[in-house]
Amino acid sequence: MDLQKMMNLPGALAAFTYSDKGDLQSHVLREGTELTPQVLDLLARSCVANLAIAGMEARGWEAVTGQSGFQPLKGFSVVGLEWSVVVDGNCGVVVKNRDADYEATFNALQAG
Amino acid sequence: MRIVKQLMAIPGVIAAGEYAYRGDRFSYEGALTDEFARMASIVCRANTLSVNMQSEIFDSFSENCGCRPVQGWIVRGNQITICAVGNYFAFIENRDELLNDVMTIMRAKVGDVQDDLLVNLYARLGGDTKEALY
Repeated sequence: MDLQKMMNLPGALAAFTYSDKGDLQSHVLREGTELTPQVLDLLARSCVANLAIAGMEARGWEAVTGQSGFQPLKGFSVVGLEWSVVVDGNCGVVVKNRDADYEATFNALQAG
Repeated sequence: MRIVKQLMAIPGVIAAGEYAYRGDRFSYEGALTDEFARMASIVCRANTLSVNMQSEIFDSFSENCGCRPVQGWIVRGNQITICAVGNYFAFIENRDELLNDVMTIMRAKVGDVQDDLLVNLYARLGGDTKEALY
């Protein structure tokens, strides 16, 4: 995953990769951001947890309702007050809400 | 329901709704049954509380880092995406530019979620929410 390329996404404040267990493996932070490597480490762990929960919910929803279209999941995002974290697979990008292009970010992560 | 109606007017929005408190009080429009809307409300409330809990942990490590209070979340499925902002949710098709449009509209119409999420959710029932909760 080319993190520098991810940093070119609109509003990107940070980009990071993590293991299947949620260990932060690599990261890039925009200079001047309030984010720290420690927050990214916690974010990475929450990303793994949230993707797993969303996957379980998607599988259950499709089984119970018969409505398809969720699986396989293409990502998850948490929208904070000032920024959002967008993740898919083992990579995440933090984008400023004001400038965020969620579709472009999800697409870039999938193409990653 | 005004926000729900506005969302449903956008081509590609499959269903939209609003939920409160335990997730079992809800209203919705679109291609869901009552039972599925009830389930969606419970899932949305559970996920909203979960990501809020996470944001409080982040905030304790880096105060005012910009994540708290959480405004919403997105699950990007293969063909369908779920957007949740505050106590509103929308099921939308994965069409070009639709996700950005829906998120912009939801953020603008719902407004910033205040600090105490549970009070915010519970307030939809009316009455003295502080007294009822605490």
